[in-house]
Amino acid sequence: MKPQVSQAIILHHSDYGEADRIVTFLTPDHGRIKGFARAARKSRKRFGAALEPYAEVLIHWLARSSGDLVSLRDAELVKLRSGLRRDLETLTLAGYGCELTEVLFDESGIGVEVFQLLQAFLDHLDNEGYSVEARLLLEVRLLSLAGYMPHLQHCADCFGPLPNGPVGFSAAADGSLCPGCDGGRGILKVDRLTLGTFGRILQTPLTRFADFKLSPRSRQEGRALLGDALRCHLHRPLKSLEFLNRFSPGESP
Amino acid sequence: MLDSIPSFARLVAELAKFPGVGNKTATRLAFFLLRQPKGQAEALAGAILDLQRNTRFCSVCFHITEQDPCALCCDPGRDATLLCVVEEPQALLAIERSRSFKGLYHVLHGALSPLDGIGPEDLKIAPLISRLEQGGFQEILIATNFTVEGDATALYLAKLIQPLGIRVTRLAYGIPMGSELEYVDEATVNRAVEGRRDI
Ligand SMILES: [Zn+2]
Ligand SMILES: [Zn+2]
Repeated sequence: MKPQVSQAIILHHSDYGEADRIVTFLTPDHGRIKGFARAARKSRKRFGAALEPYAEVLIHWLARSSGDLVSLRDAELVKLRSGLRRDLETLTLAGYGCELTEVLFDESGIGVEVFQLLQAFLDHLDNEGYSVEARLLLEVRLLSLAGYMPHLQHCADCFGPLPNGPVGFSAAADGSLCPGCDGGRGILKVDRLTLGTFGRILQTPLTRFADFKLSPRSRQEGRALLGDALRCHLHRPLKSLEFLNRFSPGESP
Repeated sequence: MLDSIPSFARLVAELAKFPGVGNKTATRLAFFLLRQPKGQAEALAGAILDLQRNTRFCSVCFHITEQDPCALCCDPGRDATLLCVVEEPQALLAIERSRSFKGLYHVLHGALSPLDGIGPEDLKIAPLISRLEQGGFQEILIATNFTVEGDATALYLAKLIQPLGIRVTRLAYGIPMGSELEYVDEATVNRAVEGRRDI
């Protein structure tokens, strides 16, 4: 087996046995990989803090001929992102971002853009801390990269224009609905300005998180519509979402 | 080959369940036990059974004990205004070994982990808060591990405890990030307790 090396973001780890660790990490070119790190909890020689979740590392592994776990040889810490540990909200949002990425894409379906997006998201939280905007920017961009973006700025049924003011929206109906097509299906009411705002966000560079400021209305409606779209496509509920709703003040759904 | 000696195979299978013990080590241990005098095997079996029968968690601090409350909770020589919160009994033992702490303890039996779905109700947090509400504590030293989970737990506890008007401190960051206390040397733990700082 040929040794592999790649830049990676640690998504998640779990303890195995007395001192070993199983680590899930995201790479730009090899998708998501699960690896086995022998004695990682006990000995700091080989891995140190480099297997801490959300850290960016240079990771070395050996693929195995059978089984889905690779064998981790070495990990060099590039960036720990200890600023994520400033408060519970920031730490929980970082975890949510990683879990959302993990659940929306299967192992091989992750391209370099998803890697760059998550990297920029974690860097932003590391520097600036929690914000609703950061969460919404990540959600809308991940949905779009996964190919799940609902129709926002025109009717999902007839592709016609939408009127000003509140518009019906339903992820199950694939997006916004004009009054003629709605027929009671648009369970959410979202202002056309909010739909325009999120449409424009998708035109901005994937890795830009700084200097976005949404109105309270866009924040609230954005959360509702993206939440609806995510529920439609997630094959399991996110464990970190309950924490996020609980630990972030003013975040109740 | 082992299948023809069922009692040997059974012991190997049981020993192989121990952390860090594979089949090879389990077989070596089984051969060792085979050569021991009869009394030795009985003493080992008895010790394992006694451990299971006689120990439980202290109803006050949730450390492992044979008497309830535990010896630490009953010791009048310990400072009852100072409480140290740890994730696991192993961390409590690591701090005791460092001889840097003379207060009481509280064992959470885990840490918050959003990605594993481990929340506050899965830990001994409610009994901790009722212990604090009974009064008497002036400082809570949070000695959770220096991992993402340990830090999340510390941040959560600080949020809960600060409104009670009690000083909350955390071990100094002499301990490397990503470390579990169980595996940190005594001198480092000692320094981290001495140098604890307010959250
Ligand atoms: Zn229409
Ligand atoms: Zn006790």
